[in-house]
Amino acid sequence: MEAFLLGLSNGGVCLAYCAPVLVPCLLAGSGGGIPKAVGITAGFLGGRLLGYLVFAVAAWIIGRALLGNAGARESIIGLAYMMLSVMLVVYAFTAGRSHSCAATGMGALMLKLSEHQGLSPLLPVAAGVATGLNFCPPFLLAMAASAEKGSLSYSIFFFFMFFLGTSLFFVPAPFFGLLRSHAAVRTVGRLCAGLVGAYYFFSGLIMLTGGIKSL
Amino acid sequence: MKRDTTNDTPAPKRRSFPKAFLLSLPMMLLTFAMLTGGKPISGPSQIVAFLLTYCFLNLFFFLMIYTGKTDRWRAPVFSAYSVAFVISFVTHLLEARGSMALSEANILRAQAPFCHMVIPMTLIPGALTKTIIFPGTIVGSFASISSMFILWIGASLSLGRGFCGWTCFFGGLEDGFSRLIKRPIIKRINPVFTYLPWALLLFIVLTSAAALSPVYCTWLCPFKAVTEYVQVISVKTLVQMVIFVTLFAGLVVTLPILTKKRIQCGLFCPFGAFQSLTNKVTGFAIRIDPDKCVKCGRCVRSCPTFSLDDESVASGGSRISCMKCGRCVDLCPKGAIHYHVKGTEPRSSGTLQRLLFLYPAFLFLATMGGGFFKDAIVRIIKLAATGHMI
Repeated sequence: MEAFLLGLSNGGVCLAYCAPVLVPCLLAGSGGGIPKAVGITAGFLGGRLLGYLVFAVAAWIIGRALLGNAGARESIIGLAYMMLSVMLVVYAFTAGRSHSCAATGMGALMLKLSEHQGLSPLLPVAAGVATGLNFCPPFLLAMAASAEKGSLSYSIFFFFMFFLGTSLFFVPAPFFGLLRSHAAVRTVGRLCAGLVGAYYFFSGLIMLTGGIKSL
Repeated sequence: MKRDTTNDTPAPKRRSFPKAFLLSLPMMLLTFAMLTGGKPISGPSQIVAFLLTYCFLNLFFFLMIYTGKTDRWRAPVFSAYSVAFVISFVTHLLEARGSMALSEANILRAQAPFCHMVIPMTLIPGALTKTIIFPGTIVGSFASISSMFILWIGASLSLGRGFCGWTCFFGGLEDGFSRLIKRPIIKRINPVFTYLPWALLLFIVLTSAAALSPVYCTWLCPFKAVTEYVQVISVKTLVQMVIFVTLFAGLVVTLPILTKKRIQCGLFCPFGAFQSLTNKVTGFAIRIDPDKCVKCGRCVRSCPTFSLDDESVASGGSRISCMKCGRCVDLCPKGAIHYHVKGTEPRSSGTLQRLLFLYPAFLFLATMGGGFFKDAIVRIIKLAATGHMI
């Protein structure tokens, strides 16, 4: 549930930052209407899930290697929470796009690909994997939370639930009417990311303090 | 492009005294029934409190009808209501608990009074776990959960976000502070902050569901500073107290004074964002007649909750966050803005629509505020006579 809610609370940010990739995919396709757009979105989300599961294994390895001692674990996770929260806040309140995740660059690449070569059926999946392998702040928060638990099955389950939470925001993506409100969604998402960042910073601070005390 | 609006402000739509009196008569009867509860009033202080409350409420309603101005007479009643609420609420707490502080024991005994701010946070946990995540009682006590839900549903269906402009017992405080100086010192606020209440709403709803506790009440409510505060027994509770006081001082006192806006309501309150959605179901709205509008921008500048901008004015209405306080209606030099009943002719004068809105809106204000007014007056009389309010 925690992972799902974390995904839900950050889904706006994910949607905002993945949109530069997904939207060109949707717009580049000709004909097919909603069913085709749903297919592209599903392919994109499947790619994202694949990227997430790779990270789930990575998070488990990190957890086993570094976090054996309870005090050290608390301190490292707390520190990770704080660092990542700062990133989240910076992301939320930086007006320019130069700090946004690699999805922005991917968006430009996708546009070029679709302009010059047409849109192959596997392209949305590849785009999903690429965005899924991005170190965007909400994702790193999920990684830190997953690493904290230390079990491979739990780590995979955690990332799967996080994926589900964020994916709900993508459900309306095929419906073009909602794209007009994209700016508002992005703004609310960014502000919410800032608040979530502050929340995790405080949580990280508490964990770090507790971890240092028990070392 | 702005058009010239010099010295051609239309006179307010004044009614004749007898007609205004007749139109006020239903409110006089309703407030009499509501304030007495159908029972005789006993005790001199109770009689004085009743008479003052009754005359105060009905005088201001009569003035709304007589002068055709809404916000001018709403604002003093609304602000006085909030002050009366604080006096009455705090003295009740002191009587019941001996302190404004909410202790762990009070929480375990479910003795926390429920307020409407908690409503959005209770919905997801209520649906998922069939549990109300608030340490209050469902029925039968002061500010029980069920009574607040019933009031909120009724007010929301009738007024939409007009709830925040007419019924919320916190809103009057900053409404009052926002009128203390004549001209704003801070004039420019980044419009992106109008999205903050939505972000905060999303944040508190999700974190409250995750933590199964009302996160906003625990960490972010500015009004804890003037109602009940958490008992300071640790660093955590000290941090909470500092947050409450800082938010109250900043969002409810200082910024409203400097900007002449309801900053907490317009740029922070997650309940306000949630309540904005009810503007879609209520029958009342604010409409702007494009033929009369001269685009002077006075309504945009004066709107206390950032609910009007150039885009919304051009589209002939307010944004979803409008709380129907009536300030823009009062200030429009061309009479282009009016209350509107959805489904009726959009370019009508709005006189009847305004009346149809004023009755339920003022009745909610009088119903919610009447009890607090009376109690606060009784407490003040007691303070003058005995030196203490309890």
